[in-house]
Amino acid sequence: MSSERKNLLIGPISPAADGALYQQIVDRIKREIAEDRLKPGTALPSFRQFAEDLLVSVITVKRAYEELEREGIIYRRQGLGTFVAERGDDRSREAKLAAAKELLRNGFREAAEAGLNPDELAELAREILEKKNEHQRH
Amino acid sequence: MNTNAIEIRKLVKNYPAFTLGPVDLTVPRGAIYGLIGPNGAGKTTALDMIFGMGRNDSGTIRVLGLDHRADEVAVKQRAAYVSPDLNFQVWGKVGKAIRFVRGFYPGWDDACCTTLMHAFHLDSGDKITTLSFGAKTKLSLLLALSRRPEILILDEPTTGLDAISKQQVFAELLKAVEDGERTVLISSHGLSDLERFTDHIGMIKNGKVLLEGRTDEIVDRFRLAEFFSTNGTTFLNRAGLVILRRTENRWHALLDQNSDAHSWLQSHGATDLSLTRVTLEDLFVALAKEEDK
Repeated sequence: MSSERKNLLIGPISPAADGALYQQIVDRIKREIAEDRLKPGTALPSFRQFAEDLLVSVITVKRAYEELEREGIIYRRQGLGTFVAERGDDRSREAKLAAAKELLRNGFREAAEAGLNPDELAELAREILEKKNEHQRH
Repeated sequence: MNTNAIEIRKLVKNYPAFTLGPVDLTVPRGAIYGLIGPNGAGKTTALDMIFGMGRNDSGTIRVLGLDHRADEVAVKQRAAYVSPDLNFQVWGKVGKAIRFVRGFYPGWDDACCTTLMHAFHLDSGDKITTLSFGAKTKLSLLLALSRRPEILILDEPTTGLDAISKQQVFAELLKAVEDGERTVLISSHGLSDLERFTDHIGMIKNGKVLLEGRTDEIVDRFRLAEFFSTNGTTFLNRAGLVILRRTENRWHALLDQNSDAHSWLQSHGATDLSLTRVTLEDLFVALAKEEDK
């Protein structure tokens, strides 16, 4: 049985949000690490316990952990549990950055296809950034 | 130790107007397993037979490595069955029903029972006849869960439950499998719940197994496809492709990514092909439809 409950708050996981449920968990944990709320060496909940907390299947959490382990962001120690890797924050940031570049590339391509020139594109990017900052201030 | 909680092999049961099987189903230990299928597919028949209600004509059912008939008593001690037909009214009050059922099971967990009564808003003094439909379902679930069975089999446990109660039920099921040893087998039409909460899925239709495997892998394997075709090719009856509807030159289909349907479409004049992820419900509807052709 679980000895001590480890709490990890990553916000609700929902089929209404973008991406598969396991991917949402992967993204949220990366964000927690990238924003320094989850530090290297921190123990993560067991996947059965985390499944209970998030109200998703055990397989979903297991898959999310496997994905994070593959990217070197977390690691498993037999019998001890799962932990945030040393430099897991860097790797998390790298992975996020790679994803962001890919999304931006796609966005720019769409915009180019819609007939925007580079200046208009840069202007659009600035507009989006400003709007985002406003949201964050709420 | 055997890693499967339930193994059904070549199970056949003949009725005058319906044949179940041959059915193979494998429920891994520690999993929440969802059995799905259209009405009349044979889900309840299969579940009943695990519990020795109705004798199979051939095939085997092993529960925790035990033969379901030869070791019937041991199986019934270690597995619990919650059916929509259970009726506890004869005991009058909730407390009396609990005391009665408790007496049969040495492993009864009083703390679990108390916690569940609280979570399900049930009281010992409640008269069973006056309980709502949902509360009665919760009572039968409480009686099964408090035995701490190694296998819990649930036939349509969430039918008629509101969204809050449904979530409570699944939260309890996740708790029940937390130690990785206990297993839940659930039949339900609540496909979005099953997609979220089950580790494995088995789909049966007309007495046969159409699909079985990890829920996430099954859902990932299929895509909804939309494409145009103006060359008059007929896309019907192609393996890996289920045509859902067609409006003039625009086709909608379910595509199995484990087949060559994708490249086949492209080489047969399908244009503007776009693929979208499916939900378990999309998959269910498409596959249920396919067999009907």
